[in-house]
Amino acid sequence: MKHLLRYGLVLLAGTAGFLHPAYAQEKGAVYYMVPTLLDEFQTGSVSALEMFLEQVGYDLTTLNADNKTDLQQSQMNDVIALAPKAIILAAVDFNALAPSVDAARQAGIPVIQFDRQISSTVSDFTSVAGTVEIGYVAADEVERLLTEKNGSVKGKVLQVLGDPGDPYTLDIQKGFEERMAAFPEVTIISQPAMMWEASNAGTIVSDQLLANPDIDIVFSHAAHLSVAAVASLEAAGKQPGDVYVMSSNGAPVALQLIRDGWMQVEVEQPLYAQAAAVAMFMDKIVAGEEIAPGEYDVLGLPSVVSVEEWGPTIKIPGAAITAENVDNPAFWGNLKPPADPITPVE
Amino acid sequence: MQQSQRRSLEFVLDNLVWFMLLAVLAIFSAAVPSYFQPGIFANIIEQSSVLGVMSIGLALVIIAGHMDLSVESVAALSAMATGILFASSGIGMGITFTPGWLVVPASLLIGIVVGGLIGALNGYLVVKVKMNAFIVTLSSFIWVRGLVVATSGGRSAQNLADEVRFLAIQRFLGIPLTAYIAILCFVGFSFMMAKTRLGRHLLMIGGNEAAAFRAGIKVDKVLMIAFILSGAIAALAGWLLAIRTSGATANLGAGMLFNAFAAVVIGGVSLKGGLGALPGVYAGVLLLSSINTAINLMGLPAHYTQVIHGLLVLAAVLLDTLKQTIRKQLA
Repeated sequence: MKHLLRYGLVLLAGTAGFLHPAYAQEKGAVYYMVPTLLDEFQTGSVSALEMFLEQVGYDLTTLNADNKTDLQQSQMNDVIALAPKAIILAAVDFNALAPSVDAARQAGIPVIQFDRQISSTVSDFTSVAGTVEIGYVAADEVERLLTEKNGSVKGKVLQVLGDPGDPYTLDIQKGFEERMAAFPEVTIISQPAMMWEASNAGTIVSDQLLANPDIDIVFSHAAHLSVAAVASLEAAGKQPGDVYVMSSNGAPVALQLIRDGWMQVEVEQPLYAQAAAVAMFMDKIVAGEEIAPGEYDVLGLPSVVSVEEWGPTIKIPGAAITAENVDNPAFWGNLKPPADPITPVE
Repeated sequence: MQQSQRRSLEFVLDNLVWFMLLAVLAIFSAAVPSYFQPGIFANIIEQSSVLGVMSIGLALVIIAGHMDLSVESVAALSAMATGILFASSGIGMGITFTPGWLVVPASLLIGIVVGGLIGALNGYLVVKVKMNAFIVTLSSFIWVRGLVVATSGGRSAQNLADEVRFLAIQRFLGIPLTAYIAILCFVGFSFMMAKTRLGRHLLMIGGNEAAAFRAGIKVDKVLMIAFILSGAIAALAGWLLAIRTSGATANLGAGMLFNAFAAVVIGGVSLKGGLGALPGVYAGVLLLSSINTAINLMGLPAHYTQVIHGLLVLAAVLLDTLKQTIRKQLA
């Protein structure tokens, strides 16, 4: 019995050691509140943030909210009680999480907005490509593709949104339609793929191909939706290039579709650079130091820090991935993280 | 009421969901531009394949007086297993066979075994351990979806082998082969329910489990078969889903459980068990797909589609309730 107890205690101590300080980084714990792990951008963000924060001495723990606002609010409350060095938040709902951001900051914990900007309250740092801006880039590419296909900016675009309850997709739609308003000869048909579920996107595409056989471009708000969209195009007897396909976020599946000739453009969210920017400024954020506005080089991308009403914000430009540049290792969808460690901003 | 009138009314009530389907198709054909065309009707049948097959398994368990909430996640796991093993891009391992067509039975077999095992576990916990089916299968709904996310790491598998994709692309009479698989399932399981001892026993157990036991029916064995069938059929639905989307994502099939329940209820299966027939369930699935297609074509603002979808389902269920009331008055 004594032996059993002794072995039990050793096992317990070993487990505790594994779970805690033995491999914790020297600068302390940072929590990342990821909205979901059901898409490749989000799972990629976890590994990218882990990698870059480790390079600057922080230990990252990730909590998944499963796209549930109330769950993310509870997680914020729990994490505040743990008093980490900082919280990185990719909000499920931009407005609903604002009180949680305030509560964390009142408790002395800096809050960093990652990928999803909260402008209704002040945060310590924001690292975004800008969801509205993704819509702008997509609109510019649609303008180019329609000119290439139809001789001028006219035609029909099927826009496959994500879940209509997700502000992320609504912001992309806002940016896209705002920019496309300048082209009255372009008809935009918008349909939501409920719960961001791929087969819903496939259904929309197969139905719309019959109702609107003259669709020129299918623009989905996430790469995994394009996979199902392409499957529907293929099932409808289309060949690559018959209907142009584009989407946003830059996931590996989209890059493969470009290589296969089905997709013409993927608007990438610069995942690595967004994550690297957080790590580069982490020491300053934790120390409560001022972040100076100006231009910074983030993994080779010229990025601008501005001080907005909601706090210092770095905007990293999204890029259009095409057949010409698809193999560029800088695109996170190629899954080749930067080899050189990042340097914290002094 | 005269005997002939009574018989006519009962015929209408027995097949009300089919009449509802015809009425909905007629209304949408008249009101929604581009709805009335063979391609759209083919789409409705094709889009019903995955949900239809999933609804069969769910209906079997509900008819037997129990519940299986795990069907959606089991389908997702089967789709992900197919994607990981047989897709060539993303996280797909791209396993191939010589001759290539062997990928079809191999992927189907793996999916069905995975689904059958989960169904067997559900059945064991419900039948042998006497746990509540709602809780057991709710738990499976959660952990199996978790397993999908864990095995995929949140990533996608894409580009299934052409030999499998053939089933989604190749059409016969304008309808993809996957839809015929679903129709065959409905015909086969409808036959099983109507003409075999297993089917009759499922109905009897769902109607009154104690009476069925006293009548000498091996209740535990039949229920166990029902859960295994439900898991295996859900896996078949997942296999069809992977074929339809040429791969799998971690959230594939999310939300299908509620549509499967709606289809089963609209199709006339009583949630209390002991009542229902699979042709009605197929009509329920077609009805939901018809509504979904109409919403897609109407170009409604994104925010309202869920509201409209829910209200239309509610209307269908209200009509079904009306049917039950009339039937009681006739009795």
